[in-house]
Amino acid sequence: MILSLFNLLIFPGFLFLSLFGLAMEFVDRKLYARMQNRIGPPWFQPFADFIKLAAKEEIIPEEADPVMFRLMPVFALTAVVTAFFYIPLWGTHSLFAFNGDLIVVIYLLTLPTLAFFLAGWHSTSLFAMIGATRTLTQLFAYEVPLFMAVLAPALLAGTWSLSEMTVFYQVHPAYAGFNIIGFIVALIAIQGKLERVPFDIPEAETEIVGGTFTEYSGRLLAMFRMAIDIEAVVCASLVAAVFLPFGFGLGPAWGFVIYVFKVLIIIALLALLRTVLARLRIEQMTIFCWKVVAPAALLQLLINLILSGVL
Amino acid sequence: MINANKAKKELAEKFGLDTERISVPRARRVFLEVPYAQFRQVLEHVVNGLKFRHLCTITGLDEGESLAFIYHVAHADGTVISLETRVPKAAPVLQTITDIFPDGVSYERELVDLLGARVEGLPAGNRYPLPEGWPDGQYPLRKDWKVGMLDGVK
Amino acid sequence: MANIKIPIGPQHPALKEPESFSITLNGETIISMDMRLGYNHRGIEKACEERTYIQAMYLVERVCGICSHSHSTCFIQAVEEIAGLAVPPRALYIRTIVSELERMHSHLLWLGVAGHEIGFDTLLMYSWRDREVVMDTLAALTGNRVNYGINTFGGVRRDISKEQLDGLLKTMDVLEERTKYYIEVASQEMTLIKRLSGVGYLSHEDAVKLGAVGPTGRASNVDADVRRDDPYLAYKDIEFKVITDTHNDVFGRTLVRVGELMQSYSMIRQLVAKIPEGPVTVKAPRKMPAGEALSRYEAPRGEDVHYVKANGTDKAERVKIRAPTLANLQSVAKMMENNRLADVPIIIAAIDPCFSCTDRMVQIKHADHGRQETLSWQALHAQSLEWYRKQGVDFADLNAKMSRRMKI
Repeated sequence: MILSLFNLLIFPGFLFLSLFGLAMEFVDRKLYARMQNRIGPPWFQPFADFIKLAAKEEIIPEEADPVMFRLMPVFALTAVVTAFFYIPLWGTHSLFAFNGDLIVVIYLLTLPTLAFFLAGWHSTSLFAMIGATRTLTQLFAYEVPLFMAVLAPALLAGTWSLSEMTVFYQVHPAYAGFNIIGFIVALIAIQGKLERVPFDIPEAETEIVGGTFTEYSGRLLAMFRMAIDIEAVVCASLVAAVFLPFGFGLGPAWGFVIYVFKVLIIIALLALLRTVLARLRIEQMTIFCWKVVAPAALLQLLINLILSGVL
Repeated sequence: MINANKAKKELAEKFGLDTERISVPRARRVFLEVPYAQFRQVLEHVVNGLKFRHLCTITGLDEGESLAFIYHVAHADGTVISLETRVPKAAPVLQTITDIFPDGVSYERELVDLLGARVEGLPAGNRYPLPEGWPDGQYPLRKDWKVGMLDGVK
Repeated sequence: MANIKIPIGPQHPALKEPESFSITLNGETIISMDMRLGYNHRGIEKACEERTYIQAMYLVERVCGICSHSHSTCFIQAVEEIAGLAVPPRALYIRTIVSELERMHSHLLWLGVAGHEIGFDTLLMYSWRDREVVMDTLAALTGNRVNYGINTFGGVRRDISKEQLDGLLKTMDVLEERTKYYIEVASQEMTLIKRLSGVGYLSHEDAVKLGAVGPTGRASNVDADVRRDDPYLAYKDIEFKVITDTHNDVFGRTLVRVGELMQSYSMIRQLVAKIPEGPVTVKAPRKMPAGEALSRYEAPRGEDVHYVKANGTDKAERVKIRAPTLANLQSVAKMMENNRLADVPIIIAAIDPCFSCTDRMVQIKHADHGRQETLSWQALHAQSLEWYRKQGVDFADLNAKMSRRMKI
């Protein structure tokens, strides 16, 4: 009981995740800055930002639905933290595991996006509503390729459980190499999920101010920011567990180091993507996702279907 | 290639203008004065006949008894004809030239707001450059206008 | 989805200055646009009538922070024409050098802003870093990063030394190399091309009809450039190409500006090679004789027009300023047609709008002057480094590293 609580709240639960999320935000911002020839923030900047934001007054627009407006940040935060418990991190087994948890994780990772949509919609401000509809439009574009990309390795492993998948790839490490297309698709889709350049269309500041979060301030915005930071870590962990299933057998200490390293690599790749690209328009984004990313994911599925028959 | 002196000669002959009132202070600059009754005719000839196709701007001046307007029109070769005309300040009514130069809208709106000219035929739209709610009858570019005149006016 | 009306401005992250665009949307597609200008009206024209010529010159220089030299030179040209002043050739060359440097920093600034508007912040950071090189050069030559204050009636206030001219040539080499890199990026980076091509279309006919000037017009193949058509300063002595483009869209406007950067580098080299020796100023009268003059100037954003009427006193009878943005704004509504909300910022940005130029001034209140102190550029630079060091950021190392990398 006490151990469970410790796991949920402290390690590897909420507290660890928050700190890890903020640390990864720092890594992302620092890399982004260095690649742009800037100095970048000091290591404590994300922490300072969070504390400062949390101390600010929160303003709820008169016309907004106060219950939904307050609920959505909590909802988004809870969903991403929950998803984390089903992902195998430094051992072959996650904290909680059952057959089909892969689907649950992906579902839980969809929830924050829905929370962003509802938050924007219930803000009843023009910019937030446009941001909200864009969030949803974008969701339909990247979610299907992400699903297919993550399901393909599962198909090869013959299980819907993330923990069993890692066990499978632990036994057959070379098979992970077949999933390279899926890995790329997943990276692109995650960039969309995290609403970062080139897919930061829902919060494109030069067009629609703050997008979904235009009306948010203070603690509620801090919570959203935290949810996004944690979402980045959770998504990176998911990709690491599914596509980079190495180094699980070396004990917890080495396992942890390798896990952090994998997350760092994925965060660095995501930072690189947003450095070298310009923001797309929403219709360019959906066209790109349906015409390029989705067929690539389908191809991965097809390859793994054939492979699972052959091997 | 048209040049300033040729334009001067042609305009003087065609419209019977006094050559004293047409000056060419330097290469590529022509200043001429026409009565308002003749203005439209001369402008049309400058634009269509002499091919001065670019409206640089319209300058408005307060000359006490009258308001003067200078239409600066440029040729592609760099020559600029400054066509000056004046209307009495008591009834400062102008015809719009936006049918010839659609981009003249903002320049004409400036004349309306800052000098109190009335431009007939000016397309509807937002005022420029003064704010909504600027008091009526206050025209900042008129010589008798002082900032103090805004005090106590709603 | 029904039509919705969204306000862009007067306060909006995409606009660096207050102007209001009200855009009616159907989904993401623009139906119509309504513009409201004048938020920056400061009454400069009226203020010029109440000031002596030399005071007015400094005021006119402050019409705009980016093309300040354009306005002051344009104004000064008109006044000098009225007074019949023969400005020494060396002064004209120095004015031309500053004017081309100003074009460089303005175009690099634009490139960065354009990058930012389409969410490509990396381009912003890179081009603004290089713009900093131009700004430092301007500061070294004139004493100021903006509002250079180099002009005076009858010439310029500072001469340029031999060493400075040599330094200028080295700077041009660095900038040329960087600009070539941007041209490469602009012609290869797919998301950039996707976001710029076909956006903000302005046909050649519309550009002529709506009187588009500067790079906005030239990108629609309007072959007009005051520097060539109506030469002023030292432009008749040097060779350059007027860059035009037939893309008619934002991509074309980008190409024109980047192309003009390359021309400006070559112009500076020619100017440095040809600059004559001699005095840099002649004495100008305080009272200008009666007369009128119209002066045109190719500012970075297009044709700048100043009309000055003198009445024989030390104050102007009338000063009329027409900034390039006012001429280009009429085209914006046309460019918006059939575009999407996402393109609004870049379309507005693509004319390189300068609203404070457009609106000009009404009234100036003198703030109380604080402690007066004279600081050299080096001292000021050192002070800024020191200030940041106290905040825990050390720019000295980085500056040294950057200059090594950029070989300045």
